[in-house]
Amino acid sequence: MVTGNIIVPNPSGLHVRPAGEFAKVAKTCSSNVTIIFNEKEVNGKSPVNILMVGIKCGDEITISCSGDDEEKDLQTLLDTVRSGLGERLVK
Amino acid sequence: MRCKGIPASKGIAIGRVMHYVPWHPEPVLGGIEHSEVRAEIIRYDQGRNAAEKELDDLLSQSLDTSSDRREIVDAHKTLLLDEAIDSEIRSLISGDLFTCDQAIDQVYNQYIQEFSQMDDALLKERAADLTDLKHRLLRCRQGLPPGRSLQDLPEPVIVVARDMLPSDTATINPDVVIGIVTEQGGATCHTAIIARSLGIPAVLGVPDALCHLADGEEAIVDAVEGVVYLSPSINERIAFEQKQKELAQKVADALQYLHREPVTLDGVPIEVALNIEAPSERELTAAAYTDGVGLFRTEFLYMDRSYPPDEEEQVELYTRVLRAYGSKPVVIRTMDIGGDKQVDCISLPRETNPFLGKRALRLCFDEIKIFKTQLRACMRASVHGNLWVMFPMVGSVDDIRRVKAIINTVGRELDEQGIRYCQNIKWGIMVEIPAVAVIADLIVHEVDFVSIGTNDLTQYTLAADRMNPDVAEYYQSLHPAVLRMIRHLSEVFQANGKHLSICGELAGTPLAIPALIGMGVRCLSMGRESVGMAKKIICNLRLNDAKSLAEEVNKLPTAGEIEQALQVFNESYL
Repeated sequence: MVTGNIIVPNPSGLHVRPAGEFAKVAKTCSSNVTIIFNEKEVNGKSPVNILMVGIKCGDEITISCSGDDEEKDLQTLLDTVRSGLGERLVK
Repeated sequence: MRCKGIPASKGIAIGRVMHYVPWHPEPVLGGIEHSEVRAEIIRYDQGRNAAEKELDDLLSQSLDTSSDRREIVDAHKTLLLDEAIDSEIRSLISGDLFTCDQAIDQVYNQYIQEFSQMDDALLKERAADLTDLKHRLLRCRQGLPPGRSLQDLPEPVIVVARDMLPSDTATINPDVVIGIVTEQGGATCHTAIIARSLGIPAVLGVPDALCHLADGEEAIVDAVEGVVYLSPSINERIAFEQKQKELAQKVADALQYLHREPVTLDGVPIEVALNIEAPSERELTAAAYTDGVGLFRTEFLYMDRSYPPDEEEQVELYTRVLRAYGSKPVVIRTMDIGGDKQVDCISLPRETNPFLGKRALRLCFDEIKIFKTQLRACMRASVHGNLWVMFPMVGSVDDIRRVKAIINTVGRELDEQGIRYCQNIKWGIMVEIPAVAVIADLIVHEVDFVSIGTNDLTQYTLAADRMNPDVAEYYQSLHPAVLRMIRHLSEVFQANGKHLSICGELAGTPLAIPALIGMGVRCLSMGRESVGMAKKIICNLRLNDAKSLAEEVNKLPTAGEIEQALQVFNESYL
């Protein structure tokens, strides 16, 4: 299992659109994906569960992957978050 | 071809019939056998695919409309395809042998509850999305098409339906819905109240209306006599167009009295107050020509939403109304739910007899958190105006004392939190359960005021469901028993110097007003559409004549004879 931290850049945090985008990418990963925030651990492939954590703009989350391709998967997900999860980010 | 029904909202409509058959979720319950699991999973998959296709269709349709709508549909799609929800549903079907509907219902409800309890406003909204989605999914699972809307219609229509729920009537656009006909219902049901407030002619309780009145056909709704004509002849059309003009004239006539002071010819002032629900601008500006709000119904706050209204939302609303009415009393009725007003945000027991069941105040005693929230909001808002609060479905002095204990608790809590509230709030009750009328002399010492809800009082006194067209003939609003109760209450409350009003339909019924005044009633609260006519009657009435009428009526044994006497009086006054 590997983990990585990242700050969520999205202006409205991980609301339904970016949560959906994250889950979409996570589903393409063969690893199990969890997001850890505020002592809560949720299934990263379920937008509803991501939503329930209530991650806001600027919050730091930990992404955890475990599986055969865990390193590659983690990198993919970190990149996806960094690039804004399909949203336009205000610099 | 003509059908008869109950005239519920006066007027005449001439137009085309549109069938309105909305779908409300009725999940198929019960369990399944082990052998049925595979088939049930297939049913679920089919339902989910159908729902997905509907959303895709919506997306491709709205290419040129607001991006807001697209975002919502997109979000719904994301939620629909959520793998956690999906796997939980599947496991309930295959592991716990649930029907797919029950599995969908349970899983979605769990998430809906969790979201609705979140502090973040955006996240709370997801509860509404999930509720919407759950309905769509259940509907698709049952293979039913989406319903028609009552808002954007290409041309004005006469809506014909089996029944209408408050969630349906809330969407009515009076510019396109020019008439309403339903198979269920009567003169006092929610549809009737909404139709009257929107000025839409309505005939309800028309058996098999959907069968007799074909979709797309021309019809005339005569909501004066309570008759609906299908495919009218040219002559019928001309005759009714004339009647329409005459009615419009009468309405314009009554409007002349709108801003007059309601005082009888011999100088007796009668308070004319307003019944309101979700207050529109017009209802707030009505403060200029009414003596206050005699009934502020608050049920709408709890309808069509997955979570009950919070304290802040209620404080804001009550404050707005109190400010609009200045020093004039605003009587807030605490939520009167159960009976014909089912809601999503509170789990109501399925009762065989909801009108005799756990509704209104009884429900509030159980749902104490929701009740206290409403009381807190009322008390916090009270500093902004002249607040009176009344409780529905009170049947005994026990009920009143129980409520008072809760009020005291809430007051203490507010005191501890240093939150101000008015010390002079008037606390009263609705008179709807006959027991209260019978022990009026005992009740009068326990309350600051009462308001008679004649709709329910009549139904309980005469043991006739006011929404069941089959027993419409037994629901007699002019029954001598009802009038005598009103007279008795009026005498007791006048003798004790406490305020009494009538807020049921009878208060705004032109025929009844003189007799009510003659019995001693000095405050009538009604829908905005009735104010003009009520004032016209009051301003042309002599108290002595009203008293004689009341005495005459008191001796008559049947509602029919009473109605006749009132008609004669009415005509002699024209």
